[in-house]
Amino acid sequence: MKLKIVISRIIPYLLLILFTLPIIIGYVWILISTFSTRTYGLLPVDKDGKFGGFTLSNWSFLFEPEIWIVTFNTLILALGLTIGVVIVSMMAGYALSRIKFPGRKAFLSLTLILHAFPTVTLLIAIYFVLRWIALIPVLGRNIPIIGGFGYNTLGGVILVSIAIQLPLGIWLMKGFFDEVSWDMERAALIDGCSRFRTWWDVMLPQIKPGIAALSIFSFIQGWGSFIIPYTYMVNASRATVATYLNNLLSETAPTNYSMLASVGLFQLLPVLIFYIFTQKYLLSIFAGGVKGAA
Amino acid sequence: MKVNLMNLTKKFGPVTAVERINLDIKDGEFVAFLGPSGCGKTTTLLMVAGIYKPSEGDIFFDGQQVNNFPPKDRDIGMVFQSYALYPHMSVFQNLSYPLLLKKRPKDEMKIEAQRIADMMGIGGLLKRKPGQLSGGQQQRVALGRALIKKPKLLLFDEPLSNLDARLRISMRGEIKKLQKDLGITSIYVTHDQIEALTMADRIAVIKDGILQAYTDPENLHDRPNTLFIAEFIGNPPMNLFDVEIQSEGGKLFANPGDGLKLAIPDSRKPKKTVKGRVRMGIRPQNIHIDSKEGFDTRVFLVEPMGRDDLIVCKVGNTDVHFLVDPIMRLKMEDSIKLKFDMEKSQFFDTETELSLLWG
Amino acid sequence: MNEDNISIYQEEKEGLDPIKRIRFRVQGKIDWFWFLLPAIVLIVAFFFLPIIITFFISGTNMSTATGFQNWKWIGVKSYQRIAAHPDTLKHLWLTIKYVAFTLVFFNLGMSLVIALLTTHIPRRAGFLFRALWLLPRITPVVIYVMMWRFIAADAPYGILNQILIKPLGLQTQNWLPAAPFLFIVLVNGFIGASFGMILFASAIESIPKDLMMASLVDGSSYWQRVRYVIIPHLRWPLLFVTTYQTLSLMTSFEQILVLTDGAYNTEVWALWAYQKAFSTYSGNLQWGFGTALAAILVLIGIILAVVYMRYFKFEELVQEPKIETL
Repeated sequence: MKLKIVISRIIPYLLLILFTLPIIIGYVWILISTFSTRTYGLLPVDKDGKFGGFTLSNWSFLFEPEIWIVTFNTLILALGLTIGVVIVSMMAGYALSRIKFPGRKAFLSLTLILHAFPTVTLLIAIYFVLRWIALIPVLGRNIPIIGGFGYNTLGGVILVSIAIQLPLGIWLMKGFFDEVSWDMERAALIDGCSRFRTWWDVMLPQIKPGIAALSIFSFIQGWGSFIIPYTYMVNASRATVATYLNNLLSETAPTNYSMLASVGLFQLLPVLIFYIFTQKYLLSIFAGGVKGAA
Repeated sequence: MKVNLMNLTKKFGPVTAVERINLDIKDGEFVAFLGPSGCGKTTTLLMVAGIYKPSEGDIFFDGQQVNNFPPKDRDIGMVFQSYALYPHMSVFQNLSYPLLLKKRPKDEMKIEAQRIADMMGIGGLLKRKPGQLSGGQQQRVALGRALIKKPKLLLFDEPLSNLDARLRISMRGEIKKLQKDLGITSIYVTHDQIEALTMADRIAVIKDGILQAYTDPENLHDRPNTLFIAEFIGNPPMNLFDVEIQSEGGKLFANPGDGLKLAIPDSRKPKKTVKGRVRMGIRPQNIHIDSKEGFDTRVFLVEPMGRDDLIVCKVGNTDVHFLVDPIMRLKMEDSIKLKFDMEKSQFFDTETELSLLWG
Repeated sequence: MNEDNISIYQEEKEGLDPIKRIRFRVQGKIDWFWFLLPAIVLIVAFFFLPIIITFFISGTNMSTATGFQNWKWIGVKSYQRIAAHPDTLKHLWLTIKYVAFTLVFFNLGMSLVIALLTTHIPRRAGFLFRALWLLPRITPVVIYVMMWRFIAADAPYGILNQILIKPLGLQTQNWLPAAPFLFIVLVNGFIGASFGMILFASAIESIPKDLMMASLVDGSSYWQRVRYVIIPHLRWPLLFVTTYQTLSLMTSFEQILVLTDGAYNTEVWALWAYQKAFSTYSGNLQWGFGTALAAILVLIGIILAVVYMRYFKFEELVQEPKIETL
């Protein structure tokens, strides 16, 4: 009888560990591999296939200038995406949650439909939009750091990424604004605020957790994004860490995966650090911000 | 500042929240909007504040139509039930925020905030955040914030509802005194009739979005013009009976049941002659034990209420409530003799529910 | 409100000009527009415009051969070409199989199992496992796919070969070309499962404790509880996850692109469209044909998105603003 209880207690854990094993193995492999000459499965080995082979040489890529170019680009992409999504969503979310205007419901439905709409199907057409933007003087391709907002510029990639992230961002911010006390906003208006001032002085400080969550989420998305820079940057291997790594991945045999694992870990670290400290916020966002509907 | 509401109406989709309210408020007057929750009193207040747009009708401040004025241009201050302080700002920042928005110099803001804070008795708390204050202190900050820009009209939306009973009573007095000292025209929304009766110069009773009465507290209590007012005002509520008024030898009598015949004094004769049944009301305070002139009845229930005992008796099918001194130690089934003070009785038409005496 | 507004407004106070009064009303009421403007610009530029462009270019023969100048309008020829294309059925069947298997075994099946298990064990432990399951979703896609490539890699490196195949004494090989379909399902499934997992877990946790207690007192087994108490409570999230994930699986190809680049017969419909338009492998980028392939997905996407937004009645979550003025 007692044994039966013990078994029934343990079974869920065993099942969970079994199902989760591929995920755990993947990460453990990255960790082991990055400090090993090579790995046989999860076993670190030296050049002769014998156990051992501890090395830091996989991290030598840090001394190549290319990695820092792509890291800088990725950082700009992630930050640009974050700032853009957060600001635009904060504005639109406020209007949709708090201001009465004709077409408000229609706009909200549109946001939701776009949220569900598979944006990747538009990649080809967006290519043409970016080519047109590239034709605009100055704005198209003559801005320092981000290059511009057209095709084959970092700014263009940022712009597309913002747009794709926007429906979720707006819906999320709207949800956070919904929770703020109406009396507080009324008080601000009576105290003498314009609607804009209310938004900036009074409302935004109340939704700081939402802003933080959306920022972190957007940063992670931008930092890891692959398909957009891969599609819209001509020299993909020099675009972002993700495209750089993809380039290595397609050229490298499993023998030398240890170096790839190190580049991967290099890209993964900031994501993991963010994730560990902000899981709770992110959980609901990853479910698509539909928590209220469930 | 004088305030006039003319045919003020507010519709939310198909629902009419406020219907054709007409009201005038004199300069320096303290008016309470009294009514059960959801009756439209807060909606009316928010229209005055400029938060809601009237569906129909007009709002005048000193004769100027202000329907399309945004709140910030109405020269008003408002105190909310939830205090609505800005949690991310210190008490000083909360108090001085209206001045900051008016782009007043820093020095003035400091002096004014300190003056208002001292006036409200929170002078030592300027550096705290609202979250570190008690409910009473928060409400004082909210009041100070409403007062600091010297508004011409003060609006209160159930400001004391979130406070505990003892604090509520002392704040009642303070707000009343402050309002009289500063002479600011004020509108005070409440569902608590004691607040309204003790604080207001005039009370507007609102039910289902319709103004039921607008008069001073004494009139409201002693000369209710509708059955609703009679039932709504007063605690414990007025006793109501279905009676027939009979005329006998030039005198009028009412028969609340059990064969009782109560003479109606001249002062309470219905204005028009009525045939058939009417509603007679008499307040618990106007029912006494009188061993000489009273009629016989039995104590049905005793509810100790502290200062008084609330006694329930039966007259006909109607429960009669009245108050006695606990020292009498009445118990259930005790025989007593009751007398209704008919000089204080009220009569209402059964159909229209309007008073047959006033209005 | 800007300076301009204030002066007009002050004139209105004095009751001056009726025309200016109207202008004041109009100007004052469009605050919302400025708040929405950036969002509107981005949505128009990167959603509306591309949808129109997709359908437009699908009616042309545009490609690198024609360039941006010399293309011709060819009407529905691209669609006729799709209908007659020898590979069409192959891609279609693969896409259906891929969506069905991933959805059933992972996005619904696995996510439900994980949600049930993690809500059954103590909270903290459950939370840990759910956090682990979210990792694939937050991991940059290239790194995530790299892990799977190494899991599948040939002996002596590959993890699968090393810890499972070899000990069992079976023939080791590179499993990616050997079982490509399995891997595209696994790779996408381990990402997709977390979506349903979160929704199901929070739905299960919101089941009233009394209900669970009652069924415990009734002496029901765990499986009876799952069958008669939990599953009926999950009807809404199950339906939601099914519809939502069908659409996103049907159109997703990023992982497959990195994993196989469409090799070993893993070119699902969306990837086929992408490769036609962007893959320099064949030399000629067929934008016209590629957008025609994509347009079919766009159309399905629009229809499904509208239909289930209707069905799930999200508008009911919308509250009316309780401030009407400026």
